[in-house]
Amino acid sequence: MLDALDKGLLKAVADLEDIPEGAYNIRKNGRLLSRATSANINIESNEEGTGIMVTIAPGTVKESVHIPVILSQAGLYDVVYNTFIVGAASDVTIIAGCGIHCGGPAPEGHEGIHEFRVGKGARVKYIEKHYATGPGSGKRTLNPTTKVFLAENAQAEMELTQIGGVDDANRLNEATLGPGSMLLITERVMTDGDQKAVSRNEIVLAGDNSRSNMVSRSVIKGNSRQNFYATMVARAKCFGHIECDAIIMDNGANETIPALKAEHPDAELSHEASIGKIAGDQLTKLMSLGLTYEETVNRIIQGFLR
Amino acid sequence: MLELKDLYFSVTETDGTNGGRKRDIIDGLNFTFEPGKFYAITGPNGSGKTTLAKLIMGINPVSAGAIRFKGRDITGLTITERAKAGIAYSFQQPARFKGITFRDLLSMATGIEEEAKLLDLLRRVGICSLSFLDKAVDAKLSGGEIKKIELATTIARNPKLAIYDEPDTGIDLWTIGPMVNLLKREQTEHRTTTIVISHNRAFLKAADVVLMVNRGKFAYVGNLDGALPMLTDLSICNFKPCREGEEDARCFR
Ligand SMILES: Nc1ncnc2c1ncn2[C@@H]1O[C@H](COP(=O)(O)OP(=O)(O)OP(=O)(O)O)[C@@H](O)[C@H]1O
Ligand SMILES: [Mg+2]
Repeated sequence: MLDALDKGLLKAVADLEDIPEGAYNIRKNGRLLSRATSANINIESNEEGTGIMVTIAPGTVKESVHIPVILSQAGLYDVVYNTFIVGAASDVTIIAGCGIHCGGPAPEGHEGIHEFRVGKGARVKYIEKHYATGPGSGKRTLNPTTKVFLAENAQAEMELTQIGGVDDANRLNEATLGPGSMLLITERVMTDGDQKAVSRNEIVLAGDNSRSNMVSRSVIKGNSRQNFYATMVARAKCFGHIECDAIIMDNGANETIPALKAEHPDAELSHEASIGKIAGDQLTKLMSLGLTYEETVNRIIQGFLR
Repeated sequence: MLELKDLYFSVTETDGTNGGRKRDIIDGLNFTFEPGKFYAITGPNGSGKTTLAKLIMGINPVSAGAIRFKGRDITGLTITERAKAGIAYSFQQPARFKGITFRDLLSMATGIEEEAKLLDLLRRVGICSLSFLDKAVDAKLSGGEIKKIELATTIARNPKLAIYDEPDTGIDLWTIGPMVNLLKREQTEHRTTTIVISHNRAFLKAADVVLMVNRGKFAYVGNLDGALPMLTDLSICNFKPCREGEEDARCFR
């Protein structure tokens, strides 16, 4: 059912060698390829037919859902709207990702909107990888959106990665945090050539004692460009931090704008931002361990994006 | 084993009253380090010790003169080539990374990935806590911790020539003695030619030869006893109270 190309893409975006265990939904070229549900995790197409609804029963622990999307059809622009209802007190991992293989001059793209409704005291880990490959010259576009709503004491940890080959990306993350909830986002984006990526993030700390930490790591090679915008809005006694680092190589360009808005006197918000080349002392240290310049740069970038 | 021949490192001063003037930070050094010996280099702050070490490692470019290592002229070699030739350097101010652990550095230094061998290495450098291996070498490490890691990565290279730049800064009182012993043991067991830059008498005592650098020159070469009068001579120290009318008065406040 999966050909070699599909398997390669699946491996890259979902770390899957084959059809996964547990609940999953694999979408290929805009259509459902295969799906499995489990006793606690239900997946069905939504009413509008625009995507899927994943419902995780309250109290479900140590289960995972894989929902990879693979694209290898020239000229296709696939749009999906997926909703995840994470039941109270559950603890689950959701692995999403989109792999594009572009074989010709026609553009290919995917736009995935993922909405998470995380119930009271639930914990969810969301891992999303985006990757494009193939010999074709067609433009590969990936525009992911996440919308997160955290109920009281819910926790979400999100790892969002764009590993390479994506020509154009418009990334959007929105989150609203309820009382006592916590959101950790780590976004890693690497661009090269003439690629462009824009990441917009809007995190609203609405509940008392909510906490959020957003970490962004960008590597900008060739003539590529990345813009990063993050806003944290505090509407309650809360804690929020934004940390964004960009490494520029070659002729890359970057714009980083973290913004903090306090609408409550007990808000504690902070940010750190840095843009620059790889630090000279890091380069000399690794070369003095016997690595060549190229090996050194690779190791530093690998670590930075880890 | 290591020869410095008329070695200079010169810069053009960009600030202060000397702005635009050339300054020889390393000022015509000639010296031969013998194989397998233990050298301590000391001297006032800013006298050129780190600059010399970085010239030997290839981090600073040589302005004039030559460096020979085991009979071969290495003046034009890159850092990587010198590392592969058997020179290792522990930085005075070690680099901090993002996402690189102590384990990663040790693997890069040795090519070893196997846990058991890495643990042997930890034991050799006197680090008993195994959890240390997965510590990120980042801004969160304490000053002493990063110096221990720095030292370990140098020993892990099994260098023929090891240069330690103030390995004891930030190291607690309980660790300095064992650290001196460790470097002595490396010297005797592996015949490592050892150069320690230090202000600490424990290292000066351990050395076969003490070299004192002042203003880019060796002001003294010999045993520690002979160096003692100079170590108490305040005219060498550049941290002096300002006297009225002094031409080149420098205030360190
Ligand atoms: N690349 C450079 N350009 C200009 N000045 C330099 C450069 N490198 C070193 N210096 C200057 O040369 C002098 C010697 O520096 P160096 O770091 O070698 O001193 P040191 O003897 O190691 O001192 P310390 O005991 O404080 O470590 C200092 O005044 C320093 O500012
Ligand atoms: Mg120094």
